[in-house]
Amino acid sequence: MTLPPILRLVVRNFVSNFDPISVVVRFGQPAVTIVVLGTMFSSIVPASQTGGQSYTSFLVPGMVAFQMVAGGVVSGNLFWLDRRWSMVEQIFSGPFLRSEYLAGLVLTTLLFSLFGVAVMVGVAVPLIGLPAISLLDLATVLATVGLGGIFFAGLLIALGTRLRSANAYFSIQSFLQLFLIFLSTVYYPVGPSTPPALAAVINVNPLTFAAFAIRHAFAGEVGPAVLVNLGILGALAAVSFVAAAWGFRSMNLGPIQ
Amino acid sequence: MADREVVLRTQDLGYAYRPGQYAIRHLSIELGRGEVLGLLGRNGAGKTTTVRLLTTLLPPTEGTAWILGQDLRTGGRGLRSRLGVVLQAESLDFVSVERNLDLYAFMWGVPREVAKSRAEEMLELFELGHVRRRKPWALSGGERRRFQVARELMHDMEILFLDEPTVGLDALARRRILRYLRERARRGLSIVFTTHILHEADMLCDRIAVLHEGSLLATDTPESLKQRFGGAREVRVEFGDALPPAHVQEFVVGLHERGASVLRPEGAVAPGMDASSFEFRSDKAESLLPWITTWSGSRGHVLERLSISEPTLEGAFLGMIGGGEQDGLDEPETEGGTSTGGRPGNPPPPGTSGGLRRDMGVAK
Repeated sequence: MTLPPILRLVVRNFVSNFDPISVVVRFGQPAVTIVVLGTMFSSIVPASQTGGQSYTSFLVPGMVAFQMVAGGVVSGNLFWLDRRWSMVEQIFSGPFLRSEYLAGLVLTTLLFSLFGVAVMVGVAVPLIGLPAISLLDLATVLATVGLGGIFFAGLLIALGTRLRSANAYFSIQSFLQLFLIFLSTVYYPVGPSTPPALAAVINVNPLTFAAFAIRHAFAGEVGPAVLVNLGILGALAAVSFVAAAWGFRSMNLGPIQ
Repeated sequence: MADREVVLRTQDLGYAYRPGQYAIRHLSIELGRGEVLGLLGRNGAGKTTTVRLLTTLLPPTEGTAWILGQDLRTGGRGLRSRLGVVLQAESLDFVSVERNLDLYAFMWGVPREVAKSRAEEMLELFELGHVRRRKPWALSGGERRRFQVARELMHDMEILFLDEPTVGLDALARRRILRYLRERARRGLSIVFTTHILHEADMLCDRIAVLHEGSLLATDTPESLKQRFGGAREVRVEFGDALPPAHVQEFVVGLHERGASVLRPEGAVAPGMDASSFEFRSDKAESLLPWITTWSGSRGHVLERLSISEPTLEGAFLGMIGGGEQDGLDEPETEGGTSTGGRPGNPPPPGTSGGLRRDMGVAK
């Protein structure tokens, strides 16, 4: 039995991208962050600063939200390498549609992100116990990470269709990651003492929306505010996906550096 | 060729990078089933653009093309699933050679068992068995090229496009691949093949399309191109004895009068000089042969040897693109004895004289 083209591409993405070291680093780094940063900061950050919970409990949903970035980076980099090594051309000259290739990347992002969520929760359970969440809360978590992953993957893919230099691509990708992570509420909350300019930037960061939604889902508090955040993430994901699709249509397939 | 099944036909196909700037224009070619069509041209002539157009990687900006009964513009996946493409650029996945073959077959939906046996066949055929567990970037340039061709042959196809597939290959590997492609063509695979190595094109292609600056100059069989555009050929005449000075003078003048340019003896024939061998170049070399035979008979000289260089594809190619100036660099290009003019003084290696020179027989 032959799998549908999109699934064949997803399998290919996993096989060609499976490198044990990078997988360990990719999921190990945030896991270690939960353990080390969570433990160390729990003793110095008072619970009053983190909504009445331990710093580890605050950090875990943030690191779960971060998986949207991690999954997006996987697909963005995979696309860039495919372009760099002419696999995009090779695949486009085969029995695949460009939309299928793009969909394959998005599906790869989702699977990587969701696997990352499982790893984060797995690491967190011994530290904070199993969060008592409902199916709706779980769906909210998965939808948030999924939409966020599509957003970030779309952003990087759109970028990758325009840039013709690896240096430029990886520099911008690193900057975007740093920007999204450190100017968000993944590691720390926005409080009254946060400088207003910084707070303004943090409050429009998509990762902040994701962290907000997941924290509420972990607390079993999915309500209209969470749905609004999800809606914004959905809109951003749609915009970035359209940008990536447009980039694909107009992409020059010639050689790049 | 009356019942030849045409699998690819283009009519005035063109691609403009921007309005008025054409990479290729007015391309009208045909490819029959089981036929090998060579695309020849200098760098930037439009060969790769043509391949990219015909494999749907680039949308044509003008003209039409029908491939396997489908319109190139609308054929899409259905069309591409019947094509194979070896791109000029290296394309590879970051897994071992063996895994790459397997993965590529999987992507094309080749059944697992078929893929397994085909991978073994390709590893053997392209001499990649010893590097099967290496990652492609750890291979030599030639191995990477062989790998790329091998990978493409993992799936079934009706037309195979090969954009300079033999770049960086050693002579033996090149021969092996060309022989295999020839065999596949004999079994019905149609092939479009671009190369700079004219000897290869001569060896492999049934027909050749010569591109120059984005335009098609000619399409014909290699033999016809050679005959039509081969240009001047070189003739070597050896007499059994040295001709006396008067006869040398008379022979050379006779050649000059018939439009030949004498290469040896070099320069002006000095009075009092005798010679037993002559070399000259002429556009109508064969028509001079009866005169030489008659002349030598009438002067009582034994014609020891008379040979005429075969027209070469390179000569024809240079003639077509206007690059036929004589620069003394007309040495055989490859192991097969390809020569741009087959200088009489440089006989080809034994067993490789293929079409380089033709001995016209000896009038002893």
